[in-house]
Amino acid sequence: MALINVAAREIHCKIVYYGPGMCGKTTNLQYIHSQVPKEIKGDLLSIATETERTLFFDFLPLDLGKVRGFQTRFHLYTVPGQVLYERTRVAVLNGADGVVFVADSHKKKMQENVNSLRELAQNVTRQNKKFSEFPIVVQYNKRDLPEDVLVSVQTMDHYLGVTRMNWPRIEAVATTGAGVFETLRAISRAVISKL
Amino acid sequence: MDPQLTSIIVPSEELVQIEECLGRLVEDTSSDYALLLDKSGQVISSKGDADRQDITALGALIAGVFASSREVAKLLRERDFRNTFQQGVRENIFIALIEEQWILCIIFNKGTHIGLVKVLTKKATDELAAVLERVRQQHKARDEVLGSSFRTSMEDTIDLLFRD
Repeated sequence: MALINVAAREIHCKIVYYGPGMCGKTTNLQYIHSQVPKEIKGDLLSIATETERTLFFDFLPLDLGKVRGFQTRFHLYTVPGQVLYERTRVAVLNGADGVVFVADSHKKKMQENVNSLRELAQNVTRQNKKFSEFPIVVQYNKRDLPEDVLVSVQTMDHYLGVTRMNWPRIEAVATTGAGVFETLRAISRAVISKL
Repeated sequence: MDPQLTSIIVPSEELVQIEECLGRLVEDTSSDYALLLDKSGQVISSKGDADRQDITALGALIAGVFASSREVAKLLRERDFRNTFQQGVRENIFIALIEEQWILCIIFNKGTHIGLVKVLTKKATDELAAVLERVRQQHKARDEVLGSSFRTSMEDTIDLLFRD
């Protein structure tokens, strides 16, 4: 949940990028870090294995400056995607104000997407939050895959229940940055609307 | 709105008490730094070396350590690990859970004895628990703090800063 410090006039919000292994969560944060003005970003902190797979989380603090007298900070986290790290994902998700669910558009990854989203629903519910009311934005990443392995947006909507849940859905290619900021804007707005 | 999504609002009066408590703890233990976090890793207040620039990252990592140890506790069918201690060559870190929502972290060097830190941290956590309980029960309407104009300004800022 967001923290509003009245005396220090500060607001802190936590946004977590969730999704199956290798779907592009860290790439999203790396792109954001490379593009935002340096006065608003902190260091990108990554706890990764030697092969650069996320072990615990990546963390990027963004300081949006003063809004109506309140210093506003967004803290972006990623979770490790590999199945092995389920308990670690629970730990990182603790106290999140909103989630970007990054789905892989490769046809071989559909089941992993579905499993990961199902796990997210369980983990959010375990924190005594209503999943249906929790701010979520879904990003379909890797839309530049060759057509023979690329799953259509409509099929992904169907598998992930995006239309039914009425989540904002954004197509992206995180490696080039396409859709990355659109996703960040969408989740930021969703979180602010629930403050 | 789902009450579980309600923000934590820390009022000025409670923040002053929190700062005093952290200040006393730093002074009485001759520690370098004391931090109070919520369990998501957001720093509520800190006292000590004013030059520290890495507080935000420190908060995120310490909350991560604690959240991780909580999951380990569950696997061991332990209720919670209420304290963790990390010992370095120069610096040590002692972390204590306050109620189920907050984390108190003390950073101290080899000149300070861990026993003293444990005793005084226990005293401080009891004191902070009472203050934080009042924070938790704050039912001050969000709109008193954040009006609709705040949200509109916030959306404009988001669009301005997070653009391609």
